Amino acid sequence: MNMKEIKKIGRNWLRRDAAEKLRGNPVFCADLTLENPLTLKVLRSTHAHARIKRIDVDRASRTQGIARIFTAADIPGKNLAGIINKDHPLLVPDKVRHVGDAIALVAAETETAAERALQAIQVTYEDLPVIRDPEEALKEDAPRIHETGNLLFTRKIKRGEVERAFDDCAVVVEKTYRTSFLEHAYLEPDAGAGYVAADGTLVIYASTQNPHYDHGEVASLLGVAHEKVRIIQAATGGGFGSKLDLNTQGFIGLALYYLGRPVRYVYSREESFLATAKRHPLTITIKTGTDSQGRLMAMRARILCDTGAYGSYGIAVASRAAVHATGPYEVPNVDIEALCVYTNNPFAGAMRGFGAPQAAFAFESQMDLLAGELGISPLEMRRQNALREGSFTGTGQKLTASVGIRDCLNAVKPFYERVMEKWRHDPAPTFKKRGVGLGAMWYGIGNTGLQNPSTAQIEMDPEGSVTLYTGCADIGQGSTTVLSQIAGEMLGLSPGAIRAVVADTKYTTDAGATSASRQTYISGNAVKDAAGKLVEILLTEASNLLKRPKESLIVDSGLIRDKNDPEKTVPVTDIVRRAHEKGLSLKCQGSFDPVTEPLDPETGQGVPYATYAFACHLAQVTVDVLTGEVEVNRIVAAHDVGKAINPAGVIGQIYGGVAMGIGFGLMERYVPGRTVSLNDYDIPTCKDMPDIVPIVVESAEPTGPYGAKGVGEPALIPTAPAVLNAISDALGERIYTLPANLERVLEAAVAAGVFPGSHGVKQPA
Amino acid sequence: MMRPKATYVRPGTLTEAVDLLQDLDDRCKLLAGGTDVATELRSGAIRGRCLVDLSALPELKGIHEAEEELVIGSGVTLSEIASSAGVARGAPALAKAAAVFGSRQIRNMATIGGNICRASPAGDTLPPLYVQDAELELTSSSKTRRVSIRDFIQGPGRIDLKAGEILKCIRLKKAADFTMHRFDKIGNRKALAVSIVNLAGLVALSPDGIIQRIRLAWGSVAPTVVRSSRVEAFLTGKPLRMETLDQAYPLVQDAISPIDDARASAAYRRRVAVGLLFRLTTQQESPDSIMDIA
Ligand SMILES: Cc1cc2nc3c(=O)[nH]c(=O)nc-3n(C[C@H](O)[C@H](O)[C@H](O)COP(=O)(O)OP(=O)(O)OC[C@H]3O[C@@H](n4cnc5c(N)ncnc54)[C@H](O)[C@@H]3O)c2cc1C
Repeated sequence: MNMKEIKKIGRNWLRRDAAEKLRGNPVFCADLTLENPLTLKVLRSTHAHARIKRIDVDRASRTQGIARIFTAADIPGKNLAGIINKDHPLLVPDKVRHVGDAIALVAAETETAAERALQAIQVTYEDLPVIRDPEEALKEDAPRIHETGNLLFTRKIKRGEVERAFDDCAVVVEKTYRTSFLEHAYLEPDAGAGYVAADGTLVIYASTQNPHYDHGEVASLLGVAHEKVRIIQAATGGGFGSKLDLNTQGFIGLALYYLGRPVRYVYSREESFLATAKRHPLTITIKTGTDSQGRLMAMRARILCDTGAYGSYGIAVASRAAVHATGPYEVPNVDIEALCVYTNNPFAGAMRGFGAPQAAFAFESQMDLLAGELGISPLEMRRQNALREGSFTGTGQKLTASVGIRDCLNAVKPFYERVMEKWRHDPAPTFKKRGVGLGAMWYGIGNTGLQNPSTAQIEMDPEGSVTLYTGCADIGQGSTTVLSQIAGEMLGLSPGAIRAVVADTKYTTDAGATSASRQTYISGNAVKDAAGKLVEILLTEASNLLKRPKESLIVDSGLIRDKNDPEKTVPVTDIVRRAHEKGLSLKCQGSFDPVTEPLDPETGQGVPYATYAFACHLAQVTVDVLTGEVEVNRIVAAHDVGKAINPAGVIGQIYGGVAMGIGFGLMERYVPGRTVSLNDYDIPTCKDMPDIVPIVVESAEPTGPYGAKGVGEPALIPTAPAVLNAISDALGERIYTLPANLERVLEAAVAAGVFPGSHGVKQPA
Repeated sequence: MMRPKATYVRPGTLTEAVDLLQDLDDRCKLLAGGTDVATELRSGAIRGRCLVDLSALPELKGIHEAEEELVIGSGVTLSEIASSAGVARGAPALAKAAAVFGSRQIRNMATIGGNICRASPAGDTLPPLYVQDAELELTSSSKTRRVSIRDFIQGPGRIDLKAGEILKCIRLKKAADFTMHRFDKIGNRKALAVSIVNLAGLVALSPDGIIQRIRLAWGSVAPTVVRSSRVEAFLTGKPLRMETLDQAYPLVQDAISPIDDARASAAYRRRVAVGLLFRLTTQQESPDSIMDIA
């Protein structure tokens, strides 16, 4: 396509739902009008690991206002859910594996009645040994949390001769890095609602990132035919990965199945903290070596992922952490092993980046440590090792196009040089130290070495109006706008003129999960494919009518015209009428599945992703050596997104990613058994936000829609490593555990000998 | 969680309020801005049988500035304190504490009386009140009495409030004869943070930099706010310099008794208690100072 003709792509489009949101119109599950609904609540385990001897619901069932109390025995279908491995009961039948496990479901007339019933249910537990530490869980004689054992999954990646390569290295650095459980802290706590339609279909509204997965899972739990369930994504106030799991959907389905009355379940913030997935804490021991010039030669890594009580997305996190452990660099010899392990901690699942943010903290710290040993600047160290076209990755994939890491490093370079020359060395205020750090990353778009197709339909009605059908859940990131832009571009229509039917399993087909930064690339291609087929039909008909070659015709604003003879036009509606008379369908199917190759189970060799996003952040920080306070002054964030379909959306993602990255780097930590809510879980406020300079780099991806890749998760990944490297630059002492909270930063300041006075070294009484 | 059934009353005058309290049992909870009470009701930490809302009492409102004294109504909000010219003149450290308190929304609701009566070890208005030896005026239907803030606050959440009493106002001697008025707060983030350590300091410096008078009060490093006459006596008459403050390190360690909690360790608090003392040697940055970062 001639680039001059592209008008809808690469322009800032107001979010399709912006005006609606400003007016407060979108309907969240909590706001749905239902006729005389029941309230649902779940009794959750207070024990981390215990056999359930007895659940006594007699007294509770007799309390006022109770419609019914359900336990595992009431589940008509298969009582196990999970997107990758099915190990998560909706209601536990015989044992609990973490505090918060669901034991019984109460359906009541009011919230108070539900609460009262919860308190009246009596559970007799028989405690089992509790395992909190994944290393413990791996021991031969450790009690088994699941029948299948505590090791859920291993991902190995082996390439070259690592031992030999280390022998030849001039510099080798080996360190262990640790991260914490994190809570997603989306604005809208998990929620669902539903009713039974006249034809008996269970209609379930959900705050979700993956309606088609929910659909299959609910049908399987209830043992009903697929057509008996309909999932509609309600307005969704963020997800960040946690709304990929079944949260309320199964409970709604179970209650509808038995009671037939409208029901609603809205988690409190406390329940959302207690019962939904967390980010996996990773322990990463990593050894990296270079030759005397600073070229990376070898890397060995052992990664331990604590997935807590259930798998959720744990396998994907372990796999992705392993694949990404090299960073966006050429490392010819690698030996990486990631283990995903069950414990009795809260279950960990998907969270923006799937293990890549944790891995980036490790590999980017290593890059600075190596640069320090070699006396090379951190920027040069990265530039000289960065992947390029023709490079092989650790999985043996040859990168052939859209490798924008160098462009990102080059975009940051002038900023880096300028601050290193001046800001970094200008006198800082008393008791404060300034530091500058870089964090780079790569991120494979879509699922790791797995098929992950998307489908879509575009339909033109007899009046020439266009409807886009997509299963892609827009959870606030703006995918519906981007998909409308793509359809609009193909069909010569304003994106706003396209009707969008989104994420309703009755009317849309599977677009896969809104995760892994995949929807612009994969669903964008599916929409483009569908729209392309419609254009093809229209142009074929128009070509017959106008007696012009199809190649010279274009669709634009309701007309089909000849590029070379603008007078030669025909209204699209005429063509549509002709097509209908001929019995041609104007509803076109589109699909796309990125080309990947499964990873070999022993060597990890294969093609995990069809394309990668790249990024580099520069962080400027000021550290207070008296208190450990860190002020992030500025983040310069360069992101290779392939093509920014909606630049404002890309920049919004970068701002949000930086905020989340600062939380990950400096303050967020979910402590199982202690953290309760946003009262004791601090996320950054606007006052903690730095100046942000977003830089959009466009290294076009040939297989992407208009060259696009993705940015949702990449936006977050480089921030924490850049900030941590900057703190280390400021203090001359490195922190190996996240978050780098006040306490850890002050400890580093003391260890570096920069805490003033004579009491800096010894621990006070 | 179960929300307790609460009856709710909102008297219109102080007399009406104290009369009402006389007739109610002590499971009634006084409610000012509600920023503590509401969260405690939600978590189940308190279960009031009824709530007596003090927010309509005109007698608890207003800041009155006299020649030597500042009288602040217990129902004055943190926003009002932060923007009061009288407080800026007579109690600048308190004004600073109010400016960095919670967030704008919280400052608009939260009252100084509520902060005192909550008696949290981390309460941000407390250290500034301790360094100015604040006196509290308490009223009941039968009498009015005055008590120093140090005597009133007895421990975390424990205050000398008798049945039927309401905190009416806070009286402060203006701290005009000090050259430095400081308040510093360390929290996990820059707004909406619970203080991990805070410090209010008043210093009268001679022209050649000698400490003539000094008052220091630390929060969140002991069950109640810490003032140490030993530390203050040690520093008096010495130059305000790092060496002097460094020598006070062991005295400060003796004065405080912090604990490990979810927000920080005792060791961290011990070090930062002195770190904030060292900060007295620097200019205090205005909260929104903008730095040239490019
Ligand atoms: C998001 C958030 C942020 C916060 N940030 C801070 C902060 O930065 N610093 C800080 O110190 N605190 C903070 N707090 C705690 C709280 O806002 C303060 O303690 C506030 O000053 C309480 O005042 P209030 O008017 O809301 O009191 P309320 O909640 O109404 O009452 C608090 C207590 O005082 C009693 N009480 C109130 N008025 C009287 C009276 N006149 N006589 C007798 N007893 C009375 C009540 O019975 C209750 O026990 C924060 C709270 C929240 C929710």
